[in-house]
Amino acid sequence: MGMIAPAIPKSWYLPSKPHKFCPGCGHGIVLKALGETIDELEIQDQVVFGCDIGCSLLSWNFFACDSTQTHHGRTTPVMVGIKRSRPELITIGYMGDGGGYSIGSQHLLNSAVRNEKVTLILVNNTNYGMTGGQMAPTTLPGQKTETSPFGRDVDLTGYPTRGPEFIAELTPDSAYVARATVSKYKQLRRFLRNALRNQMEGNGFSFVEVLSTCPTNWRTNAQQTWHFLEDEMEQYFPIGEIKTPFGKGDK
Amino acid sequence: MGEYASGKSEVAINRALELKKQGREVTLVDLDTVEPFYTLRTLKNELEKKGLKVLAFTRAQSFGLGETGAMLNPAARWALKQEGDIILDVGYGVFGAQTLNLVEGANESPELKVMAVINYSRPMTGNRERIKSYIKNLGRVDAIVANTHMGDESTIDLTKTGNQEIFIVAAELGIPIAYQVLDEKLKDSGEKNWEIPVKYIKRFMPTAIW
Amino acid sequence: MPKIFEAGKKAFITGNEAVAWAALAAGAEIMFGYPITPQNEVMHYWTRLAPEYGKGFLQTEDELSAGFTVCGAVQSGKKAFTATAGPGNVLMQEPFGMAEAMRLPLFAVIQQRGGPSSGTVVYSQQEVTLTTYGGNGEGHRIVYSTATHQEIYDYTIKGFNTAWKYRFPTFLLGDGYQAKMREPLEMYNPEDRGIEMVKTYPLVGLQGKIGEDREPQHLCNIYSLEEELYEVVLKFAAEYEAITPELVEYEEKECEDAEIIILSHGVVSRAADDAVKILRAQGIKAGYFRPITLRPFPQKQLREAINRKPARKLLIAESAYGQLDRLTKQEIYGETVAIENLFMPGVGIIDYDIINKVKSIM
Repeated sequence: MGMIAPAIPKSWYLPSKPHKFCPGCGHGIVLKALGETIDELEIQDQVVFGCDIGCSLLSWNFFACDSTQTHHGRTTPVMVGIKRSRPELITIGYMGDGGGYSIGSQHLLNSAVRNEKVTLILVNNTNYGMTGGQMAPTTLPGQKTETSPFGRDVDLTGYPTRGPEFIAELTPDSAYVARATVSKYKQLRRFLRNALRNQMEGNGFSFVEVLSTCPTNWRTNAQQTWHFLEDEMEQYFPIGEIKTPFGKGDK
Repeated sequence: MGEYASGKSEVAINRALELKKQGREVTLVDLDTVEPFYTLRTLKNELEKKGLKVLAFTRAQSFGLGETGAMLNPAARWALKQEGDIILDVGYGVFGAQTLNLVEGANESPELKVMAVINYSRPMTGNRERIKSYIKNLGRVDAIVANTHMGDESTIDLTKTGNQEIFIVAAELGIPIAYQVLDEKLKDSGEKNWEIPVKYIKRFMPTAIW
Repeated sequence: MPKIFEAGKKAFITGNEAVAWAALAAGAEIMFGYPITPQNEVMHYWTRLAPEYGKGFLQTEDELSAGFTVCGAVQSGKKAFTATAGPGNVLMQEPFGMAEAMRLPLFAVIQQRGGPSSGTVVYSQQEVTLTTYGGNGEGHRIVYSTATHQEIYDYTIKGFNTAWKYRFPTFLLGDGYQAKMREPLEMYNPEDRGIEMVKTYPLVGLQGKIGEDREPQHLCNIYSLEEELYEVVLKFAAEYEAITPELVEYEEKECEDAEIIILSHGVVSRAADDAVKILRAQGIKAGYFRPITLRPFPQKQLREAINRKPARKLLIAESAYGQLDRLTKQEIYGETVAIENLFMPGVGIIDYDIINKVKSIM
């Protein structure tokens, strides 16, 4: 019986495979969707891919596209710098909840206000995974992490950040803002395609948050992982296109 | 499993070597996802040369990637597929025994034995109250390995006094003591009558980082 | 102040934890921080202990915020601290600068990692320049470079006292190896060792009715005229120079008849100490000098040590590419001793690295 090799996107960089993301990690799914979208849109040679610090850093040599590592939270301004200098390039910034909503929040906010023509993808897994599982802006109330060992206390630390919602408020109508989830792959592909289209057509800012899994730091088995993603996270983080210049929003 | 720096990796390695010496197949699994500085991954190559199978990234493979490199090697998820004995070295962290969720089939396995390694010299398990509350927070604990020591300044007396406290708490909680641990350097100290069996260990972890 | 320990307790502990426990024992009331390797355990342990001891904690949005929240906390009169490393240390130079300018009793722990930029998450001594002279000021800071876990504990307690007594931002400069290594040390309550903790006091939010009991406090860090700034900087400099003799700390061994003095700081000094013992046993007249305070630097004492024999050579060994070297040269300007270097940026130095270097240059 021959082995069936999985279809690998052309824009994936084979020497860095198998990748080092943890078993059950959602990053692999997001990056596959992104790879397929880059292939579909035929932009492999124009893409500049930037990654942040944290688990997203494992994607620094993931694609067969020009890529750069940046600093924690600084992926957004680096992508802005590239796009402002070379508008023909397609800049994709890839970061986690910390890189986008914590240390990188001022850059995210301001780039949104300026309607920068970059595409930012933020992977939300409710914790700082790579550094050992500390609290993140998206940690759910009561959720235990290494810096909220007794559960997140919303009186002390506020509620989980809803990024796409505030980005939608700050941006003009030509921006694209959505929240996807790794449990709905076709939708994720569609949202990523729309986000990149928004940049390619020169409309404006595009931002996709993707709800993702982190069984390693959640300490969950397969069933518990899907439960947390679909039943708990979606309670706080509604899925859908919050703002799109492409016609009726898809809820 | 056990508190941060309680001696989990050291005990895991020595137990693995003990079983290997008995002619058994042994796999060590690195389940440290919080702080991978003093873990199996730093000694992977050395341990493999001794005939152990080690499911872990090497330090070079997890090159400060993203920061700490607190990653889980995919092979660890399927550790129970390995032949022979499996020793899971579970890192510290707020989740305790929940970490076993990461290994497919671990919780359900009738052969699972969860051993909590406790060092009385560690401040968070430095008195009876703290040991008790620590064990209670851990989750499932089948037996305790009493590992009171002070690194290079360990003495027999220190171990005896500290472990005695651990024994008392264990009795209160109804958890058996599997064994106690001593640095092999203290072997010829003349002490022979141990109520609870002693395993002598060789220390590997000091060479782990620098 | 309630006691943390009943009596001195010998414990087996990592460097990061030692910071958390010592801060507790020193009466620190609140910690602000942001995750970065290799200092995360300072936060992990503080958050576990905080509820038990009624302490505060906030994981801020980044290191800029962590530094400025500490500035605010100490302005309000509470004993506060933070810890960071590498790129976090770079970010914190802005709030550290404010602390220098406004004479705030800020205490911070730096666990050096490889640099520049993300470097490595492991170890280096490459944040010496940053920690001693970072920011856009004159480096009016106090920096303790520790080499053992006992020192991490002792100097955390001392660090708070230094900050609150002299009101220059005070730092404990450690590194990733010290942060993660496990060692025995004795944890104690300061009062059991006769250490009196300097009382805290607010700079804002003072007691009393404004206009009746007191004037409102107006704090600033900007001046209109060049001459005003000049006066302020000179005043701070004079104060800093005046307290230098009582602040300076160092360790010196076998320099009386040394032909070559090995100069190192922090964890590298442990290797230097071993190296000197081995070299002496082999008949080579080596001496050991270790600044404990990098700021203020024990330049007077180093000059004396050099001129005792006098030594023919000074070997500066550091896990950086010349940061200790530059600091030393500026401090002992005028000395004619030949200076050699062992630069191993980001890499640990063992006794044989130093021994082999000494033999190659003697």
